[in-house]
Amino acid sequence: MTTAVGNLSIAVQRRFGRQRLRKIILGSIPFAVMIAIWHANTVFDWLPPVFIPPIGDVWEAIFFLQEDCAGFVALVMLDNSCLITTHVFSSIGRVILAAIVGLPLGIAFGILCGMSRTLSKFLEPVGVFANSISGIAWIPLAIVWFGVGWVTTLFIMLNTIFWLMFFNSMLGVRSVAKVYEESVLTMGGSRWDVIKQVYLPGAMPSIITGMRMSMGFGWRALIAAEMIGGDSGLGFMIFTSAAEFKIEEVFLGVIFISIIFMATDKYLLAPLEKWTVERWGLVWRPT
Amino acid sequence: MDDGGREVARARHCCNEIIITGAAMNSMTPKLVVEGLTHYYPDEYTGESVHALEDINLELYEGELVSVVGPSGCGKSTLLNILAGLLPYKIGTASVDGNVIHGPGPDRGVVFQEHAILPWRTVAKNIGHGLEIRRVPQAEREKRVQEFIDLVGLTGFEDKFPHELSGGMKQRCQVARTLCSDPVVMLMDEPFAAVDAQTRITLQEELNRIAMATHKTILFITHSVEEAAFLADRCLVFSARPGRLKEIVKIDIPREQRNWTNMNDNAIFISARDRILASVREEVSIAVEE
Ligand SMILES: Nc1ncnc2c1ncn2[C@@H]1O[C@H](COP(=O)(O)OP(=O)(O)OP(=O)(O)O)[C@@H](O)[C@H]1O
Ligand SMILES: [Mg+2]
Repeated sequence: MTTAVGNLSIAVQRRFGRQRLRKIILGSIPFAVMIAIWHANTVFDWLPPVFIPPIGDVWEAIFFLQEDCAGFVALVMLDNSCLITTHVFSSIGRVILAAIVGLPLGIAFGILCGMSRTLSKFLEPVGVFANSISGIAWIPLAIVWFGVGWVTTLFIMLNTIFWLMFFNSMLGVRSVAKVYEESVLTMGGSRWDVIKQVYLPGAMPSIITGMRMSMGFGWRALIAAEMIGGDSGLGFMIFTSAAEFKIEEVFLGVIFISIIFMATDKYLLAPLEKWTVERWGLVWRPT
Repeated sequence: MDDGGREVARARHCCNEIIITGAAMNSMTPKLVVEGLTHYYPDEYTGESVHALEDINLELYEGELVSVVGPSGCGKSTLLNILAGLLPYKIGTASVDGNVIHGPGPDRGVVFQEHAILPWRTVAKNIGHGLEIRRVPQAEREKRVQEFIDLVGLTGFEDKFPHELSGGMKQRCQVARTLCSDPVVMLMDEPFAAVDAQTRITLQEELNRIAMATHKTILFITHSVEEAAFLADRCLVFSARPGRLKEIVKIDIPREQRNWTNMNDNAIFISARDRILASVREEVSIAVEE
């Protein structure tokens, strides 16, 4: 029995590596504690289920919401009958769309402004103005302009992503040591070579911070926008479910939001960081 | 001129005749020519300008290593930046291979004092960067890169990133990067100032070996009189600011004989070094008095 456990633990360690295993275990402890308290609440009946639903109810809500789904086609077409997938995919779709449009635009303008004093004199005040009004403060105006739906939610998210990305890229470019640019120029490099080979990689630490920040704030802004100005998405789902006192659906929505966000960070942004700035020795790496 | 004798040429205020002597010895056309170069830095805030260089004239011949020494702030880096094309100038002319310098270009390779190799490129990709910019085909590029990696002793570190190298290795990588682009002249601004004394000696011997192997034309700026005398065929001493060419000291020692085990016993080296040192110290005391 003990040897079986020992063998298993050795096998697991081989599979993941000691360090990674340690990291996974340490990282999961707070969640395990939270889930335990949550479950204890149900068992010992501290707070009534209208405030905190049993874990089982939240799990069942997935199937309940998806119950009427009329097959695969309806699911993919984001049909209103497939509630859970429609809401999840609407939110994810907006995030992806806003990221595809907003991140490159923010990076491009940020780099240009970081390089050119004239352009930055032109765009920086607008940026400060836009940043002074937080993303969600635009929601009422966006609803007036675009009505309730996709456009409003996208606009809110884009607005948040673009300016954060813009400022971070601009500061990133300005922090790149002049000598790198000079060395590329003295090797016969063009402006374009300097942008590609110096500014973009040199600003990478800031750009990644910018991506983390803009995806974080953008995702939050999106949820808020969906609540008030949307007709689908996880924010919309949470908001409408709360209005109908379907507390287990609210919980489900919140859990989905955090899982999706954590997955984006872990599987997209963190690897990007690892493959660029960490490999280049541009950021300090904790041991 | 006194006891150091024949080997040491010396001039005050006007250096033209000495340059002509250099030219007479070397009947080729010079690779780098500077005529009447004067530079002022404008000061945006006070309106006054800093007079950094005054009437610099010099010529560099093919395969020659010329060092520049002078008190701190006398305009050595200013001269190098102008020659590199990184600093626009108005008074005088500077040209490489007959082409007037207007901006940076691959005919002049620069080795900077700071670590200037790109942190996001591996050693090999840094060294081949100039060729990549010129779109040299990959196969040829890799061959050339390997040649220079071996030349500067970085074999085995091709795929490392700069942060994995020591300070001396980073400077070797920078030297290799500049050599690999095959510039007409190589401009070096205190390239070994930031490394420890021991590494510095090794790097000096290595540069001597590289100069011998590649016959590059090199302008080498340094704070160290010893370094200048060890490496240079001619050493230019600058006056305190505004920098003028005060004196040219010739050091006629074949490159094969230059290594630190012999040099300290070499009479030519010693007299040249002492001559340069005395000349620089005079200027430093002027600079301090000001
Ligand atoms: N960008 C600049 N703007 C204004 N003044 C400058 C600038 N760069 C240098 N100077 C001034 O010009 C003078 C010459 O500077 P330079 O850097 O060429 O000296 P240097 O001989 O290289 O000194 P060091 O040996 O300390 O490197 C200095 O007095 C300095 O204050
Ligand atoms: Mg200097």
